[in-house]
Amino acid sequence: MDEKETKRYWKSLDERKPDHAFPQDEFREEFGVPAMQLDRRGFLKAAGFTAAVAAIAGCSRAPVQKAIPYLIQPEELVAGKSYYYATTCAACSAGCGVLVKTRDGRPVKLEGNPQHPVSRGGLCAVGQASLLGLYDSQRLTGPLSGGKPASWEEADGAILSRLTEIRAKGGAVRFLSGTVTSPALRAQLGQFLGQFKDARHVMYDALSSSAILDAQEQTHGVRALPHYDFSKAEVLASFDADFLGAWIAPVEFAAGYRAGRAAEATPPRFSSHAQIESRMSLTGTKADRRMLVAPGEMGLALSHLAARIARLSGAVFDGAGMAASPVPEKVLEELAARLWSARGRSLVVSGSQEVAAQVLVNFINQQLGNYGATVDLEKPSSQKMGSDRALGALLGELKAGKVAALFLHGVNPVYELPHGAALAEALKRVPLLVNLSERVDETSGLAHFICPDRHFLESWNDAEATAGVVSLSQPAIHPLGNTRAALESLAAWSGKPQAAYEILRASWRERIFPRQKKAAAFDAFWDQSVHDGFAEVGARAEKSKPFRKEAVRAVINADVPASGMFALNLYPKVSMREGRHAHNPWLQELPDPVSKVAWDNYACVAPGAAARLGLSEGDVVRLEANASAVELPVLVQPGQQEGTIAVALGYGRQGTERFVQVGPKWLFGKKTGGADGRVGKNAAPLLRFSGGQLQYAGQEVRLTRLEQKSPLACTQSHHTLTMPKSLPIVGNERREIVRETTLSALLNSRKAAGEKGVAAPAAVLDLWPKDHPTPNHQWGMAIDLTACTGCSACVVACQAENNIPVVGKDEVLRHREMHWMRIDRYYSGEGEDEVSVVHQPMLCQQCANAPCETVCPVLATVHSDEGLNQQVYNRCIGTRYCANNCPYKTRRFNWFDYVREDHLANLALNPDVTVRSRGIMEKCTFCVQRIQEGKSEAKRQGAALVDGDVQTACQQSCPSQAIVFGDLNDAQSRVSKAMKNSRNYRVLGEFNFRPSIGYLVVARNRAEGGEDKGNG
Amino acid sequence: MADSTVVLRPPLIDGHKTFAQVTSDVCRGMEGKPTPLWWASFLTAFAVLMVGAAAVGYLVTTGIGTWGANRTVGWAFDITNFVFWIGIGHAGTLISAVLYLLRQRWRTSVNRAAEAMTLFAVMCAGLFPVIHLGRPWMAYWIFPYPNTRGPLWVNFRSPLVWDAFAISTYFTISLVFWYVGLIPDLATVRDRAKEGLKKKLSGLFSLGWNGSTRTWSRYEVVYLLLAGLATPLVLSVHTIVSWDFATSVIPGWHTTIFPPYFVAGAIFSGLAMVLTLMLVARKTMRLEEYITIRHVEVMCKLIIATSGMVGLAYATEFVTALYSGNPYEQFAFLNRAFGPWGWAYGIMVSCNVVIPQLLWSKRIRTNIAIVFVISIFVNIGMWFERFVIIVTSLHRDYLPSSWADYRPTPIEIAILAGTFGLFFTCFLLFCRFLPVIAMAEVKGVLNEGREPAHGHGHAQAAGKRAGLPARSSAMEGARG
Repeated sequence: MDEKETKRYWKSLDERKPDHAFPQDEFREEFGVPAMQLDRRGFLKAAGFTAAVAAIAGCSRAPVQKAIPYLIQPEELVAGKSYYYATTCAACSAGCGVLVKTRDGRPVKLEGNPQHPVSRGGLCAVGQASLLGLYDSQRLTGPLSGGKPASWEEADGAILSRLTEIRAKGGAVRFLSGTVTSPALRAQLGQFLGQFKDARHVMYDALSSSAILDAQEQTHGVRALPHYDFSKAEVLASFDADFLGAWIAPVEFAAGYRAGRAAEATPPRFSSHAQIESRMSLTGTKADRRMLVAPGEMGLALSHLAARIARLSGAVFDGAGMAASPVPEKVLEELAARLWSARGRSLVVSGSQEVAAQVLVNFINQQLGNYGATVDLEKPSSQKMGSDRALGALLGELKAGKVAALFLHGVNPVYELPHGAALAEALKRVPLLVNLSERVDETSGLAHFICPDRHFLESWNDAEATAGVVSLSQPAIHPLGNTRAALESLAAWSGKPQAAYEILRASWRERIFPRQKKAAAFDAFWDQSVHDGFAEVGARAEKSKPFRKEAVRAVINADVPASGMFALNLYPKVSMREGRHAHNPWLQELPDPVSKVAWDNYACVAPGAAARLGLSEGDVVRLEANASAVELPVLVQPGQQEGTIAVALGYGRQGTERFVQVGPKWLFGKKTGGADGRVGKNAAPLLRFSGGQLQYAGQEVRLTRLEQKSPLACTQSHHTLTMPKSLPIVGNERREIVRETTLSALLNSRKAAGEKGVAAPAAVLDLWPKDHPTPNHQWGMAIDLTACTGCSACVVACQAENNIPVVGKDEVLRHREMHWMRIDRYYSGEGEDEVSVVHQPMLCQQCANAPCETVCPVLATVHSDEGLNQQVYNRCIGTRYCANNCPYKTRRFNWFDYVREDHLANLALNPDVTVRSRGIMEKCTFCVQRIQEGKSEAKRQGAALVDGDVQTACQQSCPSQAIVFGDLNDAQSRVSKAMKNSRNYRVLGEFNFRPSIGYLVVARNRAEGGEDKGNG
Repeated sequence: MADSTVVLRPPLIDGHKTFAQVTSDVCRGMEGKPTPLWWASFLTAFAVLMVGAAAVGYLVTTGIGTWGANRTVGWAFDITNFVFWIGIGHAGTLISAVLYLLRQRWRTSVNRAAEAMTLFAVMCAGLFPVIHLGRPWMAYWIFPYPNTRGPLWVNFRSPLVWDAFAISTYFTISLVFWYVGLIPDLATVRDRAKEGLKKKLSGLFSLGWNGSTRTWSRYEVVYLLLAGLATPLVLSVHTIVSWDFATSVIPGWHTTIFPPYFVAGAIFSGLAMVLTLMLVARKTMRLEEYITIRHVEVMCKLIIATSGMVGLAYATEFVTALYSGNPYEQFAFLNRAFGPWGWAYGIMVSCNVVIPQLLWSKRIRTNIAIVFVISIFVNIGMWFERFVIIVTSLHRDYLPSSWADYRPTPIEIAILAGTFGLFFTCFLLFCRFLPVIAMAEVKGVLNEGREPAHGHGHAQAAGKRAGLPARSSAMEGARG
């Protein structure tokens, strides 16, 4: 038909225009294929083929799978969309705020809650990994009675009838738990125990700080843990307190520490940090000055410092008869002077469990006027409330058989305490033993009833970790088993069964709501608190009494082990802490940030002692103390005090036998785990009760060498940036991978630059045209090595976000760990005492001139127009050429099909990230799924992407905000500014790989050219 | 006639062979029953091949994790073996093509075996680029073929793609060259065979060869052209293989000396392997009169020459690293020589540079036993050269945090052994079913007809029957 003759009808004004054209091939650009054009024959061919294929396909019997859609779509719930709920981490007693990312009704990731006043957005490795604890198939799915599954009615009935008997007889009821930060649970406990004449709640912490609380009681009349504010401390002295590692509340402390070390602030704020310790702690690695003191000398060192501070303040301090200071006089003098000059802005902390030493710390802080400034006793912390004296009393009662009923919650004393076997015998004699443990462990295995508590992601709860900040926990998933919250169990046993939600709400209405003034109605207050995850309310003022000078007594002698013996230091690892999370494979595979060893604990021996005894890494030794012995492999630890042996707690847990088969199974694959199948050895039998406190350090230990070897799965085999001495490269002994400077050098250079004006960076001449234009975004990252503490939260965050498999000890020994992000740790410094440590997070550098991209034969790794170096999993054929050619060695290859047999654990997989199969390469993607999510969310809202909208998992988790990620095309973004920082440098920048990650030089508050000579 | 029989050079073939003798000597191995020695060797080689095949099967079903490679050392035995076998393959082309073009007529008694060896070595080599893949079933993705996966194409910047082309080209040309050279001999086999499969097959593959002058003339042209075509491959294949390393950024790999260094090394190793096989074949198949002591000497001289080139390359690398001022480069070489794998470097230098120097002595050169041992040493040394280049460069590269050691697993060792099994299985089958010496060519270098007649009339007749014309032009060239 001729078009001119056709009358045109139009449906819209646009269409009426003569030049209107219908959009054709709308998807051509998107899919790169022309729209299908069919002629008759083609159609018949296709139709015939389709019919034939359908007929063939119809012949096979496919398994029937029923997918049941939501009959009624829940309101405000879109399948495939992430929802975040605020809650409180209960992985330890620190009480950090978290946001739970849920997808389709299941939590898939934990993120720090940036609004939370305690944790300020960070979340530690343990917190990150506690997500996997939710999906732990070892968790009990219902109550056990006498080791056999029972119903709640049966268990409650039996318990109540026994309790009625006990009440009638007036028997002693004891509730033994860890620190209970929840006001609701404490109230519920009070109600429960109030039913009995002789009832007591005993709290103890497996990682006890009981001596601090007792010392506060002695000096200030308040038995509480002071709230330390590291952000205000300009001069900081820590006596064996690993506050960046695993001491009390590392996330909170790291955030504060970071806030106090901001070289870029105007005026620069940069604390001076002295660490006096016996082993190489994570905190020690960040210290500006580090002094080595044997565990038994800590009190004496504190006495000497106290004497000097007293001299400066004019206070009376009786230091008569003090032995010579273990720390050089000059150093101590200088430290005292520094502390004194920063009165009210300084802080002295100690991890010692000697009350006398903690009293000295209180004395020093008192003299320095730190109370009320950096040490807050008015609004104390309740992160540690345990009392070792109370525990000791209870143990005595148990031994004497005086306890009629014992309830246990959140503790595992048979494992955690010394003389666990004797305790187990005593527990067997208790007439009613009820455990609220979520799993069968060393202690709960003995219980008559196990009434499993819920995981914190399944339950309503609250926590007041520091006075005035009450955090809420809300369930993010329907309970995975027939478990019951401790609140509900206690209510049931108090005779008033009630849902946890009701109990909590009532508790808040009664206790929390009256403490605030902002909200008038409780419902509004409650809703806001549930939304925020916390509420800031007035603190009940703790009335501390004036300082009691009489309590202060100098420690005049050092507790030195006999010759030929060592002093023991039992410490918690960043990943394993007291062992509560030993069942968590992410934490087991996380390399220790200092030793870089995964899947084991070991005896850390100083290099000097190791040389003297002829010990090298992996030699098995027997450690004997307290009539107990533990056999452990040796790790030679630079920076450790010569006479000290350090051993991590938390290993050798019952239940870690599951990891024997965690790795790939193949012909020559070895099993993970020791002879007993467990991971590591329990060092708790070496603990000691002394002075009413659980002592972690100082006990005398005998070391005997056994003629055995046990290799340690260390992810780093060369530990310095200095080349091996056997290969003399004159002039280039040290690689400039990590750069260090001092604060004074930094400020001087900045001053000099300020006078001249900052020189523009020299233009980089390039032979090649810019063949990868980035018109929209160019993603980049800046990592502040000064801020990075090495805590490894980012490593686990990355593992959780990106579905990174766990490979097991044997594979780690074969150097095949799969972590996309790792923390490289380098030692430097000459001599024994001058060991300095730097941490360098290392991940794919997303190079603009990426060596990996040119060598891939099948274009499986290509550059995006946003500056990302992309890995196309389904195109990869696995030549490993890219990994060989990666100068940063950040690519990870799937050597096997990694075990994903635990279907429950698979629920923790992030649905946005492919689970990689065997034979392909993978690596950090800068969390491209988060970038896409951020971009589509911005698009949906019709707004431009704002700096900070997209955060990588590592960045989000970092307690010290060392990682900044963003768009380099945006000159105002934080990352662009960080890239212009004078401290910024690129690793291997001289090779012009043009990495997208800039590192900010490590700065330490040291004298220029002083102690750090040889460190770069 | 008497004057014309003056021989200026010692004859290339000993024993005053007649054409008929040549034919029967060479065909002896193919006719009759295999000797017990052959059976013993074959069964051993085949058993080793089966062990290797089982290891490959396990590898493919289980994963590359069954090897000792790790996040730092991504390639180890796999690419070492690949480069090693490719190198072995080089001597075949060198002897058959380059020496042919250079009119080195002594090559005639060894070229057939050398070419066969090339093919088998390339087969062994070609195995590794496939099985070293994480997903070997996707190996064909490395070829640019039109596909339905949208605009998916290969990365022409990747040396691995170049490798795929280089090796497949090399294999094809080598195969064609070898086959074309076989045609006249296959015709001889056909003519000697009685009715049966052997006759049919040799008839089929000899392409109706009739021995006419026209056939010969065309054959000569084709052979010459193929030789010309194959010659650049001697340089190109290993040059491209060396680019796998040279185009990377890893210190110890990223070096411009690699192409000539690799080519020299390849020829060196190939010659050593030819020598090893020659000495065995000559003994076991009673071919002493064809593969004479002079052949051995010439090969030894070539080995000295290439050993010198390789030694020069080793030294140059060090000087370059020292002179570069690049600390990473300097470290890589110091580490190579004195680091944890220093012993491997020691094996490499002593086997490749020091030990071959013994061959300067004529007494050693003519002592078959010592030459045999030396040739084995060179083979070992050249395997270690590749191992040293690959593993010691990777195991300590830029970031000390990622340094790692490497230890082969039994699976890797079994696969390496298996390739030897494959190689010798193929070679033994070749010895059994095809003429190991190019009869037609050898007949061309005999002194038949130029020596005083000793009543060889019947032999001449036999030679003619086998279709041998006087290839005078070529022969005279060789004598000139």
